[in-house]
Amino acid sequence: MFHWLEKNPFFFAVVVFLVIAFAGVVTILPNFSEASQPIKGLKPYTVLELAGKEVYKKDNCLSCHSQLIRPFKSETDRYGQYSLSGEYAYDRPFLWGSKRTGPDLHRVGNYRTTDWHENHMWDPKSVVPDSIMPAYKHQYTNMADIETAYAEAVTVKNIFKTPYGPEIAEGKAAFEKHFKDVVLPEAKMITAGMKKADIKAMVDSGEIPEIVAIIAYMNRLGNKRTQ
Amino acid sequence: MSIADIQAYAYLVGTVIAVFVFYNYIVYLYRSEKRGEKDHEKFGKLALDDDITSKPLVDNNPEAKNEKKEK
Amino acid sequence: MQSNAGMEYDYSIVKLFLWTTVIFGIVGMLIGVLIAAQLAYPELNYLLGEYGTFSRLRPLHTNVVIYGFTLSAIWASFYYSGQRVLKVSIAESKFLSILIKVHFGLYIIAAAAMVVTLLMGITASKEYAQMEWPLDIVIVLIWVIWGVAMFGLIGIRREKTLYISMWYYIACFLGVAMLYLFNNMALPTYFFSGGLGNIMHSVSMYSGTNDAMVQWWWGHNAVAFVFTVPIIAMIYYFLPKESGQAIYSYKLSLLSFWGLMFVYLWAGGHHLLWSTVPDWVQTMSSVFSIILILPSWGSAINMLLTMKGGWNQLTENPIIKLMVLASTFYMLATLEGPIQAVKSVNAIAHFTDWIPGHVHDGTLGWVAFMAFAAVMHMAPRVFKREIYSKSLLDAQFWLQTVAIVLYFASMWIAGITQGMMWRAVDEYGNLMYSFIDTVSVLHPYYVIRALGGFLYFVGMLMFAYNFYKTATSGRKLETEPQFRSPMA
Repeated sequence: MFHWLEKNPFFFAVVVFLVIAFAGVVTILPNFSEASQPIKGLKPYTVLELAGKEVYKKDNCLSCHSQLIRPFKSETDRYGQYSLSGEYAYDRPFLWGSKRTGPDLHRVGNYRTTDWHENHMWDPKSVVPDSIMPAYKHQYTNMADIETAYAEAVTVKNIFKTPYGPEIAEGKAAFEKHFKDVVLPEAKMITAGMKKADIKAMVDSGEIPEIVAIIAYMNRLGNKRTQ
Repeated sequence: MSIADIQAYAYLVGTVIAVFVFYNYIVYLYRSEKRGEKDHEKFGKLALDDDITSKPLVDNNPEAKNEKKEK
Repeated sequence: MQSNAGMEYDYSIVKLFLWTTVIFGIVGMLIGVLIAAQLAYPELNYLLGEYGTFSRLRPLHTNVVIYGFTLSAIWASFYYSGQRVLKVSIAESKFLSILIKVHFGLYIIAAAAMVVTLLMGITASKEYAQMEWPLDIVIVLIWVIWGVAMFGLIGIRREKTLYISMWYYIACFLGVAMLYLFNNMALPTYFFSGGLGNIMHSVSMYSGTNDAMVQWWWGHNAVAFVFTVPIIAMIYYFLPKESGQAIYSYKLSLLSFWGLMFVYLWAGGHHLLWSTVPDWVQTMSSVFSIILILPSWGSAINMLLTMKGGWNQLTENPIIKLMVLASTFYMLATLEGPIQAVKSVNAIAHFTDWIPGHVHDGTLGWVAFMAFAAVMHMAPRVFKREIYSKSLLDAQFWLQTVAIVLYFASMWIAGITQGMMWRAVDEYGNLMYSFIDTVSVLHPYYVIRALGGFLYFVGMLMFAYNFYKTATSGRKLETEPQFRSPMA
């Protein structure tokens, strides 16, 4: 019965594949549709927030910060309500992280402010004296890639039916209109809470540095998800 | 019956079959050796005697190979 | 049948992969030492401007050691032992001879592109699958080429029976192929938005909890099919060959193979305990993680018992030493992992330094030691020269063993300390420590860990020197050694 297994590489490979695949089919498939349902009132990220999420990925914040509050009292005391599956419905990719060298950020928008982030990213020790986090000064000079963030919004709207309005549409013209009408005003609301004059000047001249985008993203993490 | 139920039963049946096949395999390995039909342990020598000129334990289609070489 | 008389195994590709093993080993471990030191001394984050921060370098470290160092060692071993256990030379097929060159060439291109894109911060942000979609396509291509080369070699083999190592290489090929494809499913946004934005950018096909499940199905099983399965393939060939003793129980090796194949995949969910994935997935992964001890220890005990009746070689041959210690660390890591997968332990261990500690038990102790042993076994046969220095190899072994102990001991303590402090409450039920307290307390352990990493890196340099001297100026060998590798 098992004779052919050891002799025929093709049959052998097929059997190995089936054995390997079995677990994936059972553990992953059944919950696929259920787990992707958003919680009630969850809003998709704005384009500026998506650009901030890209900065979060680019500077790889998730190598030290999680976005997953576990259902323990010690965690809910420290970070707030434990995380719900539906809160991540528009997170592509998921950014839970696997290591907390720094604190969890899943609800950081509830208790940190724009100017706190502004100081913290420039020099973490100025806010938390014992911090071992590096400063991210380049976020104050690098420009956020708004167009790519917009392209992402268009993609998830068209393919995954993420509920964006008609203003998210294909093409350069639609992007430029959205940038002027929505993204820039939103960035100005962020810089209104910031102190650095050069950042304000950049946004006024129509350029959005990474720091503005990532603060928009940070502020979003928390109750603002559904507001 | 919902899809989840079907999946649960499919999982159960699949696992029972896998366990059954696996234990059969153990029995097969030891029984075939006891009856002298097959010596699995000799395959361990494959790593030790592996020069290109050494004789294969089980030759893979010897005639075809010879023909090709003679051309 | 003397048709193969006068023929030789073709080691040209093996040589290339041996060199990349050493080079990627140095690069990957150097970055590792740097980022370990950055945790203890944050000023070190500013050596390379934007590109030198811990967060940018960490994925570079993991990717270079996994896909550079480890994969190179695996491929060198495969092309070496694959030919030998099948008793067929790559040179016998024109097609395969060309294919392997394409394999190596594409691999170098992909590796270079990986380093550049990760430094620039172009990333899909999924751990161990950070590379963006154009690179993913190249990697799939490389993998397919390897598969064609493997099955091509099997197709023209003289030895009909596939040795157990070949089983594991085939499983490595299939497992990684399936998992990598599913995990990296992403849409390039440029093509779905009418040509907007960065062409490199993509968005994952899965969202949130689903994405997490797919990712850790991959993440965990990258450990299974890159760090475990092919390494077992290596040790099942190199340990018997170097010691001259056949595998203790061939039947046990077959049984553990099927056990490992079936059980490993279920355990992926243990990276997501207490998260928002369904409870039954968590519990099942926890249970299967415990079951996983059986096939893992089945393999490990089989390896150790292979030395039965030949234990004197342990004192005489540093290569045997490396492999025996590798098996021992394999046992340790495969016991530690299931312990961490118990839900109550995981509640403390998850997100702490105990997890990287555990990973490095496996990678430094098991994977890298096995890679060193394999390289040193292959070098005299491939370059037809004696190993340059036995005492250097011995010194490397001891230095790195001490380094691993420093590494995992400090990370155990650091992890458990931090996990306990996060949950500590005073008599009124209030949290006792602010987060930064739990960071400051780790400083001494981070220093010890960085020291351990540094010592390991020094060992790596000694190894590289030894290898270089062996390849270039070791004493010439007249005949190929049969079992024990000759060393000066």
